Amino acid sequence: MAERVLVKGTEAIGEAAIRAGCRLFFGYPITPQNELPEYMSKRMPEVGGTFLQTESEVATINMVYGAACTGTRVMTSTSSPGFSLMQEGISYMACAQLPAVLVNVVRGGPGLGDIQPSQGDYWQATKGGGHGDYKLIVLAPSTVQEAVDLTVLAFDLADKYRTPVVIIADGVIGQMMEPVTFPEFRNLNTLPKHDDWALTGANGREKHIVVSFDIDPHVLEKMNLEIVEKLRKIEANEKRWEEYKLEDAEIVITAFGTVGRIAKSVVEQARKEGIKAGLFRPITLWPFPYERLEEISKGKKLILDVEMNMGQMLEDVKLAVKDHARIEFYGRMGGVVPTPDEIFEALKKFLNV
Amino acid sequence: MPLNAIELAKLFHDKNPGITPGHRMCPGCAAPNVVKFALMTAIAKGYHPVVGLATGCLEVSTTIFPYTAWNVPYIHNAFENVAATISGVETAFRAAKKRGEIPPDKKLAFFAFAGDGGTYDIGLQSLSGAVERGHKFIYIVYDNEGYMNTGNQRSGATPPGSDTTTAPVGKQIPGKLQLKKNIVEIMAAHENVYVATVAISEPIDFMKKIEKALEFDGPAFIAAHSACVRFWRVNDDKAVESARLAVETLYWPLYEVERGVYRVTKKITNPKPVEEYIRSQGRFRPLLSRPDAKEIIEELQQYVTSRYERLLALEEITKDKPLRGPWAKEDFQTDEHAM
Repeated sequence: MAERVLVKGTEAIGEAAIRAGCRLFFGYPITPQNELPEYMSKRMPEVGGTFLQTESEVATINMVYGAACTGTRVMTSTSSPGFSLMQEGISYMACAQLPAVLVNVVRGGPGLGDIQPSQGDYWQATKGGGHGDYKLIVLAPSTVQEAVDLTVLAFDLADKYRTPVVIIADGVIGQMMEPVTFPEFRNLNTLPKHDDWALTGANGREKHIVVSFDIDPHVLEKMNLEIVEKLRKIEANEKRWEEYKLEDAEIVITAFGTVGRIAKSVVEQARKEGIKAGLFRPITLWPFPYERLEEISKGKKLILDVEMNMGQMLEDVKLAVKDHARIEFYGRMGGVVPTPDEIFEALKKFLNV
Repeated sequence: MPLNAIELAKLFHDKNPGITPGHRMCPGCAAPNVVKFALMTAIAKGYHPVVGLATGCLEVSTTIFPYTAWNVPYIHNAFENVAATISGVETAFRAAKKRGEIPPDKKLAFFAFAGDGGTYDIGLQSLSGAVERGHKFIYIVYDNEGYMNTGNQRSGATPPGSDTTTAPVGKQIPGKLQLKKNIVEIMAAHENVYVATVAISEPIDFMKKIEKALEFDGPAFIAAHSACVRFWRVNDDKAVESARLAVETLYWPLYEVERGVYRVTKKITNPKPVEEYIRSQGRFRPLLSRPDAKEIIEELQQYVTSRYERLLALEEITKDKPLRGPWAKEDFQTDEHAM
């Protein structure tokens, strides 16, 4: 069995990416994710990879664009304001159908905000962020081990669907140290070569074209429809979530990432006091597991959505639950991480106990 | 009109140089002194300073809510756009003045402060745009040669051989391979601009240049040597000494360029070897243990020597030959375009 090691979240994501076969990392410093590019700057040369520090996030994402065109596994990481600066490039990549893994270690916003943990970028990550019709696969780990596993998955999904994949974490996941088991190193020769579209020099083969543009609206519409079809496929196949003590639950807490982890303590606390609570934790924020949440919500006393924002996933929870159950929300913002006690107090208030 | 020493002494005494004590910059950091020298000069000359700050150490450490170290009007926006932000403020000021909302004799001095990250790298676009448009402002970079706010990553200003977290000096790679970007020449190339280098070890030279920038009819760019005692790995009483050594070794030549006319403001006749500067700072220590340290230092030595010789030559050939003059502006640049 592989060895368990104690690692910081950001560094764990970096190591997982390398083991997934990523040998190219473009980065630019922003708190609270600096350990990831720093780790990559040391680690990449050891495995024959390349780390490049850019002069801005705008440059970063467009370097990722350039590299992704060649069909190679490529990654970057940033934090909220930097992710905002990347949006133009991300929209271009979505239209050009380029695989890449983008890590957003979310901090308090909007604006300069602060550098404390937050989930304020849910909308930006899941509803588009940049201009035009597109969605990104968005994965939300709640432990360092899950961050490792989802990083590997992110590369595979990016390659499979030719799409940028976002790993949305926050300062808690990024800065926390936990024991993890890393996967084996992926044999680089077994990685997808993307022979059918990648720009690798057309000498001796049909030319490949990667674009996010067409002057003819009918052609562009066709390109759009191709993307839509792909997104429907992702929706059908890639929804992931965790259910925790839902079998007999009367109350369902919905939460993702760090809060999903805190909510487990709330479930335990509630059960000790005789309140049958359970947790539904979406792992893919897009595609969101609407159908499963709807099914679960039927006949429930209360759905309590908890987030570190003003109620962003709440909109998707409402779309899923419809009028099957009463929905309430408890959120903290500005970098405040809610404690299990605070969430439990909110829960009791909503239940009038 | 020369600077009034009594006025300056009073400002110091009243602790009113625009930035107040009690901020949270590291003890010994050079940056607050850069700010003090600049703002004191402006206040002493009868200007009301207005300060724009890019994201960076200076910004995060002086404005931790609910406190602020600034007792002058202050604006911060993001990392990449302090020059654009202050352009907006300055334009609004000119518009208000034109409408008669501000007395015509009221003198405002618009300052933008940024670190080397916000200047050399992410902020270069907005800086170039603001200078090309010709806003009347003074941009001051406190150059500590790295992204110190986020924990010492390399920047376009980091010199070769300096140990940073993203270009670490190791066994394989001797840290950053590129020379420092010459931001002073980039800005001087905008031509209709006053550009100068300053060091806190030369306060009179520093303040004279600020005075010139204030009176210059157009934008000004000042590059200030600014030791980061934390990541340069020097004692916290060494910022001034570092600056002095930088000047004496020609690592940081003191000069100015006014509409293309070069003037070396402090001539160094017997420069110390640049190695002395390198040996005085812990950030270069990993370099010194590499077998190729000598060659890397030698390369840097050749660079600083030839750059200085080039500056002296430029001083000679540009004397009294400004590339542009205020004459071009008087006809066209009225306050009209502010509206």
